[in-house]
Amino acid sequence: MRKQRILAAGSAVFMCGMIAGAHAQDYPVDTVTLITHSSPGGGSDVFLRELSRYLGPILGANVVVENVRGGSGAAAMANLAQSAPDGSKFYATTPTFIYTSLLSDPEYKYTDLEPLVNFFIDPEVIYTSANSEYQTLEDVIDHAREGRGQWGAANPASLERQALEQLKAAAGVNAAVVTHEGGGDLLINVLNGTLQIGVGEVQEIQSQLEAGELRLLATFSDERLEAFPDLPTVEELGYDVVVRKFRGLAGPKDLPVDVIAAWERAVQEVLADEEYKAAYEAANLRAAYMPHEEYVQFIEDFGNETRDFLKETGVIE
Amino acid sequence: METLVQSASYLFDLGVIIAALAGVTWGIMGGALPGISPSITMALLLPFTYTMEPMSAIVLLASTYIGAEYGGSVPAILIRTPGTNAAAATVIDGYEMNRQGKAGLALGISLYSGVLGSLFGLAMLILLSGPLSRVALAFTPPAYFALGVLGLSVIATLSGENLVKGFIAAILGLMVATIGTDPVTGGTRFTFGSSELLSGIEPVMIMVGLFAMSELLVQAGGRGEAERVTSRPRINFPDLKLARRLAFPQSIGGVIGTFEGVMPGAGGTIASFMSYNEARRWSRRPEEFGKGSPEGIAAPETANNTVAETALVPLLSFGIPGSNSTAILLGGFLIHGIVPGPMLFQRSGEIVHGLYAGLFTATFGMLVMGMLLLPACIWLVNRPRPYLNAFIFALILSGIYSIHNSVFDLGIMMAAGAVGFFMRMLRFPFLPTVLGLVLGYLVESSFRRSLVLSGDDLMIFVDDRISLALLMLAFLFIAGSLGKRIYDLARRRRVEAFSEGSEARE
Repeated sequence: MRKQRILAAGSAVFMCGMIAGAHAQDYPVDTVTLITHSSPGGGSDVFLRELSRYLGPILGANVVVENVRGGSGAAAMANLAQSAPDGSKFYATTPTFIYTSLLSDPEYKYTDLEPLVNFFIDPEVIYTSANSEYQTLEDVIDHAREGRGQWGAANPASLERQALEQLKAAAGVNAAVVTHEGGGDLLINVLNGTLQIGVGEVQEIQSQLEAGELRLLATFSDERLEAFPDLPTVEELGYDVVVRKFRGLAGPKDLPVDVIAAWERAVQEVLADEEYKAAYEAANLRAAYMPHEEYVQFIEDFGNETRDFLKETGVIE
Repeated sequence: METLVQSASYLFDLGVIIAALAGVTWGIMGGALPGISPSITMALLLPFTYTMEPMSAIVLLASTYIGAEYGGSVPAILIRTPGTNAAAATVIDGYEMNRQGKAGLALGISLYSGVLGSLFGLAMLILLSGPLSRVALAFTPPAYFALGVLGLSVIATLSGENLVKGFIAAILGLMVATIGTDPVTGGTRFTFGSSELLSGIEPVMIMVGLFAMSELLVQAGGRGEAERVTSRPRINFPDLKLARRLAFPQSIGGVIGTFEGVMPGAGGTIASFMSYNEARRWSRRPEEFGKGSPEGIAAPETANNTVAETALVPLLSFGIPGSNSTAILLGGFLIHGIVPGPMLFQRSGEIVHGLYAGLFTATFGMLVMGMLLLPACIWLVNRPRPYLNAFIFALILSGIYSIHNSVFDLGIMMAAGAVGFFMRMLRFPFLPTVLGLVLGYLVESSFRRSLVLSGDDLMIFVDDRISLALLMLAFLFIAGSLGKRIYDLARRRRVEAFSEGSEARE
């Protein structure tokens, strides 16, 4: 019943959108709301607020940010899945929304949303304390091979943990993957030597890197990072693991064609904006624009991979 | 010394002064509203700071945090509802003093202790940031587990006359703490498919339900207008004699608060409960505790205000937020492109100095605003019961609703209220429930994390020296309380009746 109504509303708006699109280049609605499940000041929130400053004029609409917290994204997904697909509301997607969908089986899941476009990939790096004896990733793997390794990830249901489990399998070693309640706990346990390595985004450990308290060992990205040209990728080191922590947007199902086109144009433009580029590069975000079609496929693949991982590790049935 | 001089130069910076006073005022109001936690109070302000000068923005947010941690004690004393988690310990003796018509003195003590705690914490923050940050680093998962157990050991003395009832109450709290996401595997537990329960139940919902909602139910159950002693709407500060008596519990609060604040994840609630317990253990008049002892307000209120200052140590030194509130402060830093951590002092030293000066100003702002606002609050609770209770009910409903904008949360709070009502009827103490609720997750996740680290070898808790020391201390505490109970029983004396007033009143 609800689905039918949304479909009907969707097609009606779709046609209106077509007509509006045919008449003018303007975006079909005046105000675009970007929803995030993260609290004010959290990762996605900061990303969206920074983005909204530059995106508004390019898109031709007011861009506002709204925090819909609760259920690690479940509330935000429900909110979005039930709104009209007229291009007025989008949700900031990170791997969290896929994990929440798979782990807690909420009423509305990532499959009830339509991925729009991708903006960034946050590079995930492996780091160790500067005081530790480990100079390369190989040292850490060897240590794990001899005895028991202790590796840390920020959260139990996270891409970082998945990356470490995959690395462990690829290297064929027995290491304990220790999960934490966020990046801060993890960082302390790496700094005090409880763990040999931790995995996280560069921006989380930036200050410690600059102070020389941490040493980077490898990056999980598909190619080397511009900021650290000497840092090898995990793949180069012989372990077939690549991790892509995406940051993009998703909308309700059946987004009108002109809305998608407007976003594809605007996102490419905003990512090329000099001022914005300086801001996001300083925050160690890597522009990784994916057009609509590619992003839909990407999210589907990502979801399937994650489901397989969670099943293998026995987290879900 | 250099830091002090440089910070002092910002004491007369108009932007810093305005931000500090505005922040602390806003914070006191937010903290005083039950359900509006310090982090929500700060989050509401955050969008306004985007366009502000970085220094004013940081000072505004940090002052809000200080004010909110203090503000929580106001409803704790006046309407038996902790405005913040950390004020739960203040309810016990604070509300009791209010019932005796000494609300003005109770509020005065909490304000005075809060200011002292805040100043002490600030001094620790400025002077001992370096050594204190090393304390935080020394805490490994087994040590955190032991810290949590030490916190739980307080249950043995806070259980009132019946230890078994205390344990049952504690287990109730621990059970609620298991709801949500499994800390190690990430699977869901006891959520029954509800996405609202995914991130667990916020302790504040249960606390507001247990304390405030049950009180409303009990009063609604009484016949006619009960006799009550009203307090004069003015703030009384303790006289010299009382101030001397309070100095010791305040020192306990300051020291415990300093250490708990520095450790990410420990926080103000453990600090205030432990200080309350220690103040009682070392007091010359332990029998007064639970019956309106001024020391029972001074110790926890000093502790949680000290925590609000020293919690900035891990944030500034490592960029690690130890609580939701400091996470929002971190957001405030990041939005202005300032990254807290080891490079902060070199790169943005002026921000840190401005922050120190702002916190100092905010502490005095707290004193002034408290003196201005509190008489009005006392006047408010002196209104006729029916109006007051309706007002309190509306206040707690809107406060709880505002946490996630969720009606579901109201259901949880009211269910906790119903449970609390029956707990009072059956003379179960609340405090063990609160402790179990707050510490359950810390204890469980640290325990399991330690076992993952050690490959299921329990010796990790003995091998870690901090863990061993804390566990032995916890053992001594428990053995001591049990020993005292047995001794008292043997002497056929009634065990010191101590509870936070959970029994039905005549």
